Amino acid sequence: MISAGRFFEERLQQMSAQRYQWHVGSFAWVLHRITGLLLSLYLVIHIWVVRTIGQGPEGFDRVMATVQTPLFLFFEVGLLGTVLYHALNGVRLLLIDTGWGVRHQKGLFFVLAGLAVVVLLIGVVPILNLLGRQFPG
Amino acid sequence: MERCFKIFRFDPENGSVPLYREYRIDVQPDWRILDCIHEIKWKLDGTLSFRRSCAHGVCGSDAMMINGKNRLACRTLVRDLKKRGVIRIDPLKGFPVIKDLIVDSDAFFERNEAVKPWFVNNDRPPEKERLQSPEERDRIDEPTKCILCGSCTSACPTYWYDKAYLGPAALLKAHRFIFDSRDQAGEERLEILNDLTGPYKCHTIFNCVETCPKEINVTGAIAELKMEILRSRLRKKSKSGR
Repeated sequence: MISAGRFFEERLQQMSAQRYQWHVGSFAWVLHRITGLLLSLYLVIHIWVVRTIGQGPEGFDRVMATVQTPLFLFFEVGLLGTVLYHALNGVRLLLIDTGWGVRHQKGLFFVLAGLAVVVLLIGVVPILNLLGRQFPG
Repeated sequence: MERCFKIFRFDPENGSVPLYREYRIDVQPDWRILDCIHEIKWKLDGTLSFRRSCAHGVCGSDAMMINGKNRLACRTLVRDLKKRGVIRIDPLKGFPVIKDLIVDSDAFFERNEAVKPWFVNNDRPPEKERLQSPEERDRIDEPTKCILCGSCTSACPTYWYDKAYLGPAALLKAHRFIFDSRDQAGEERLEILNDLTGPYKCHTIFNCVETCPKEINVTGAIAELKMEILRSRLRKKSKSGR
């Protein structure tokens, strides 16, 4: 157990030290953390939406109307991107832990991030269609 | 050409707060950073403290954070860094600072000792030497290059926030002995590593690989340790017949 003074001193030194250089690996890690936290948040919202089934068809319809507004459809695109990155980078991490992916971690990141963008663009089409149906013209 | 150096200064004995001090000196592009801080210490400010011993990238004493990345001052040339702006030099991050660029590396070496970094073989040695095939030697070729400079452990974000973590350098050292065909304490070391402080704590951020002055694939070695712990467990399971 370190004393409060020593703890403060160490923090002070850490803060005054320059930020460490970014590169592909650390960027991928931070993004994985952020998307992971966002997904945890989404899970709470998801359970809140599904919970309304217990209030009968009317309650559920009311919530579904809310989550199909343009704002929520915009969020949905974000959700798709978040899920795609987190899942595909998860595959990258698995490949790294098997040992094969270690030497190719940077290439893997760009390939899988590219794949995420492509699938995201494909996924945006039906979401936009839904938006078009709601607000024709 | 004149370059500006911004160097971290801290002297706890004088009760000072940590701060950066700027020095302007004439340097040549093929000067090493070590030459530059020698120039500063010898001609401008004798109070500047840093470690260096061999000055040729063998002892690992002069690892420091240069422009936001851990490097050996003796193996980094001025022309290797960005052409303009200040050159910032900090002590190794995550280690307690003793004075200026000198850090307390006791905790670092304690972690290294925790994995039993010595050769164990209780068989009587043969007349000449314990032979190893070239393939067996290749298996541990990279980890044997480690000079224990501390760049990797100091660059590891997991180590910054969890000082219980053994850190990349100690894990690399464990790898060097676990995969040595002549060593007999591999299982014992795997038991030590099979803990929250071991390789499973690695978040594969690759800061250690990016910084290593000997270009060792540290994260790769840690990944191999994770697999080896698993294999060791399976071996034990099949032996006990369950």
